[in-house]
Amino acid sequence: MTKLRPLPLALAALFIHHAAQADDLVLQRVLVEGARMSQLGIADSANAGTVGQKELAARTVYRPGEMLEAMPGLIASQHSGEGKANQFYLRGFNLDHGTDLATTVDGMPVNQRSHAHGQGWTDVNFLIPELVARLDYRKGPYSARDGDFSSAGSAQVSYANRLVKDIASLTVGQDGFARGMLAGSPEVAGGTLLYALEVMKNDGPWTRPDDYRKTNAVLRYSRGFANNGWSVTAMAYRGRWNATDQIPLRAVQDGSLGRFDAIDDTDGGNARRYSVSGIWRQTDADSAAKLSAYVIRNQLDLYSNFTYVMNDPVNGDQFAQPDRRVTSGVDATQTWHVHRGDTVASDLTVGARLQNDNIFNGLYNTRARQRLSTTREDHVVETSGALFIESATRWGEMVRTVAGLRADRYRFDVRSDRSENTGRAKDTQVSPSFSLILAPFASTEFYANYGHGFHSNDARGTVAGIDPATLEAVERAPGLVRSRGMELGLRTEAIPTMQTAVSLYRLDFDSELTYIGDAGMTEAGDASRRYGIEFSNYWRPLKWLAVDFDAAFARARYRGANLDAGSRIPGAVEGVGQLALTVDKVGPWSGALRLRYFGPRPLIEDNSVRSKGSTTLNGRIGYRINKEMQVELEGFNLANRRASAIDYYYASQLAGEAAPVDDVHFHPIEPRSFRVTFTKTW
Amino acid sequence: MINRLKLLACALLLCASTAASAHRFHAGMADVSFNARTGSTEIVHTYMAHDIDALLANLYGRQFDLTDPDDQDVLRKYVEARFQVLGQDKSRLRLRWVGMTADAERVTIYQEIEQTPLWKAGAIRNEVLVDFLPEQVNTVNLNEGNAVRTLSFDRSNPEQATR
Repeated sequence: MTKLRPLPLALAALFIHHAAQADDLVLQRVLVEGARMSQLGIADSANAGTVGQKELAARTVYRPGEMLEAMPGLIASQHSGEGKANQFYLRGFNLDHGTDLATTVDGMPVNQRSHAHGQGWTDVNFLIPELVARLDYRKGPYSARDGDFSSAGSAQVSYANRLVKDIASLTVGQDGFARGMLAGSPEVAGGTLLYALEVMKNDGPWTRPDDYRKTNAVLRYSRGFANNGWSVTAMAYRGRWNATDQIPLRAVQDGSLGRFDAIDDTDGGNARRYSVSGIWRQTDADSAAKLSAYVIRNQLDLYSNFTYVMNDPVNGDQFAQPDRRVTSGVDATQTWHVHRGDTVASDLTVGARLQNDNIFNGLYNTRARQRLSTTREDHVVETSGALFIESATRWGEMVRTVAGLRADRYRFDVRSDRSENTGRAKDTQVSPSFSLILAPFASTEFYANYGHGFHSNDARGTVAGIDPATLEAVERAPGLVRSRGMELGLRTEAIPTMQTAVSLYRLDFDSELTYIGDAGMTEAGDASRRYGIEFSNYWRPLKWLAVDFDAAFARARYRGANLDAGSRIPGAVEGVGQLALTVDKVGPWSGALRLRYFGPRPLIEDNSVRSKGSTTLNGRIGYRINKEMQVELEGFNLANRRASAIDYYYASQLAGEAAPVDDVHFHPIEPRSFRVTFTKTW
Repeated sequence: MINRLKLLACALLLCASTAASAHRFHAGMADVSFNARTGSTEIVHTYMAHDIDALLANLYGRQFDLTDPDDQDVLRKYVEARFQVLGQDKSRLRLRWVGMTADAERVTIYQEIEQTPLWKAGAIRNEVLVDFLPEQVNTVNLNEGNAVRTLSFDRSNPEQATR
């Protein structure tokens, strides 16, 4: 009889191909020849993907929020001072400051719910790009793991626990830009201490300089590995800035205002973010567990004036929206890896999420940042809990399914300065999701996805009795608003060195959150339906050359009986595209050129006023002086196009005007500018 | 009786192969031999690409391209800290990193102890991947003349005498 010896068996098994195992769950396998990681066999939809550190570093980024543009179809813009949260556009949405785009950094939610200025406020200015190890994204409400604000998409940013090399960099640029960054990760007491410090200032091209100054720091201690270990992280960010808000087109056209002028030169703000978070993970061949917890302190002072002197001819219309909050939460997931026979394998995951926000915010009329009167003042306690279960099964080589069910419960407790607006509300939603993946050929997969998602409404709207500005009675908004998405997708690598994905989707929302330009806030509006198609293509014909081409088109309309004003959704972007060439390691040289198309948007429901599309070109050239030093030149808006970063259509009144005027209000894109960065690693 | 034993063996093998599909074996190999032409002792490591990929990804949180010299340096730092050949006096013999190759299946690493015959080695310390994968078993084959000696390393046996 043959004696069974484990070692020869193990060696025999060495080079036998196996399906993915539980210890693959956290981070998947890698690249050969530097190609972008293949999503075949991994992603559950054609729209999901991962962008690695090298690809992120190869992008030209004017502001940290633009890093999220690595997610095909996403546009990050700005309509005000640089310290403010970006404006995001994705899948036919004007996401305002991040509504319906769920962003997390190391598991911490970035979206701030019931925020003074905009629901789901997503300020990513605290991101330090050099620490970002990967960006994972998916679009549409097809995952039970995603909750609030994820109907258009979700972006998960992960910081590294340790750096390959310590790094110091210094950037100087036009328009008063300067940045210094230092990061390292020494071994300390059997673990790794990651530290990073960033200081930055930027004036921008504005007549009244932004004078945006930020200080940003990260300190993390970690032990073990990402899949078997733990980390504790502290982050601190402070920024202050002046803001050049959007300006009326009429004043620029009649020559009374320059394109980069401000009207109220006291607009601006300051923001602070401090967080402490921890992640613990344990993974073995049969299971994976993850537990994370966080406490985040956010403070924002924001002064805006979008209507100038329309409401108050004497003091002007500047208003303040301070928001101070502590967000705390716990996330736990457990995955079991189950085999049935040789060909069927399942990952069964259950998860729980708890989040509490203790918020003090308000809306005040101000003049030159001095408070004149109170419109409203609120103390909001918003608590939510979620449970989800997801089963991802491989039914052999050709068929995979992912079935999920998620339940969310929200509790809104608002104590307002008016008793009519004080109260409690609750809401619950159960969201199913299902994905079918067919892989009839080795290099091609087909996807069918269906799922429900949601966004929460501002807690203040869920208990509202009267509008504090007009004192008119208002209807209460539901706590949670359901979305329903369905999608067909294709991903193929049939052509060698090329990765192509196509998605065709439909997304319905029970109520669209609409930005009210002249009120400076969002409002729960009518139901909506979107159709869209997305095409994403990555081609790496040579080891040193990569070509990205993405295009997305969307048709967004309000639905319902009450569409007298029209069915267009203001700001809903109709098309987005990018073409990027990236060159790496041609001797000491590297570089990139990126053409970005930000398509047209209707600005009003009847489509009579529209925003034009714009195309901008950014680029960078890097030269490696030696193994430790690199110099890089980045250029923004190389063709020096005059276009809008954003357009709105609403009524405003300038000093000297007798009555409010409906007009386009715009914030221009920055003219051509350059920055030089010296980087040293060791 | 013989048939029963054969049946039992087959059943056990079947179980083992099912287990193999349920649990990936984590194993590495290194061949150590003296090259008379160069006068150096050469070491050729072979690891599963999947294990190395997972190791680096879980150490640094990102993906690596092991055909890129910069990324190879990262693996080199890791391997050099965990694979050592000790002399008779327990001092570390200097291992020169010759190079490495990687494909979708395996990662092969070449090292040598310059101008040193194999008999000068007294012990080997091999903890490659053992810190990351509890089940990792590394096998080192010592080729001396026509004889091959096999040493086995795992979490409880990080160091073995070579003679």
